[in-house]
Amino acid sequence: MTKDIGTIMQQDHERLDQILANTARAVSEKHWVEAAQLLEAFRHGIVDGHMVVEESLLFPAFEHWEGGEEHPLTELLRKGHKDLRVFFTEMAEAIENQDAEEFTDLLSTVQTILQQHDAKEEAELYPHLAEALPDHGVEAIQQLHLLQEEKA
Amino acid sequence: MSEFQGCQLPEDLFYDLDYVWVRPEGEGIFTIGVTDPAQTMSGRLQKARIKKVGTQLAAGRHVATLESGKWAGGVPVPFAGEVIERNEALLEDPHLINIDPYGDAWIAKLRAEDPEHALDSVHTGPEAIEALQAWIKRYDVQCMRCSD
Repeated sequence: MTKDIGTIMQQDHERLDQILANTARAVSEKHWVEAAQLLEAFRHGIVDGHMVVEESLLFPAFEHWEGGEEHPLTELLRKGHKDLRVFFTEMAEAIENQDAEEFTDLLSTVQTILQQHDAKEEAELYPHLAEALPDHGVEAIQQLHLLQEEKA
Repeated sequence: MSEFQGCQLPEDLFYDLDYVWVRPEGEGIFTIGVTDPAQTMSGRLQKARIKKVGTQLAAGRHVATLESGKWAGGVPVPFAGEVIERNEALLEDPHLINIDPYGDAWIAKLRAEDPEHALDSVHTGPEAIEALQAWIKRYDVQCMRCSD
């Protein structure tokens, strides 16, 4: 049975969380090259894949389904994405500078943000997507897979 | 002092129209903090990390990160500059931000790289207050200031 878009997006959260946890392990072991590669894989997956699908397909469909162009939920989620992009750059710089303390501080904040951001999406956005998307999410799923396959 | 849904919005400050206020101190120095609606939305703050004195920051980078039990986020700077002072009291007691966000709980002072243009991306006066009121309405914030 084909998985619905909500389940696939939720599984992508879990996949990305795992890559970030692996990055943290590499930093704690001072394997800086591996840490940089893992963080880039995480950043590519979340920024160039997950966020692109959400901002280009899922949020607009949800906003349209809710009857307007602006919606407090998607505004908050878009703002979350914007903030996270800055944090990812700062985490990459911490790895580049081999500064484990700075990385760990940033990681703690980012993990808290992601936990709350993901929970909000999974509770308030994803359950409505199959109904909100005209093709029930087929294009979004294809797009996500395509972007995941692209190399960073 | 303007007030909207219990949120205090000083008219003489500059705002990024999100979380941050900026106060020019003269000689290229600017104080940065978070607004009353932002501290309300964040909840009781339990952790604050502020960049060390001497740190150079590009515009948009975080001078501090704040965490409560239910929220975490960064405090971005609207201009490039160097941290010349940080509020050490907040490192010990971040909850001060919930008590006095515009006064004792300022976050950091920065020397702007280009003081003449440091305020180019922030807003002040009636236009800023109106935009902040829209922000408060959008996120349905009802401000409550902690007293201790």
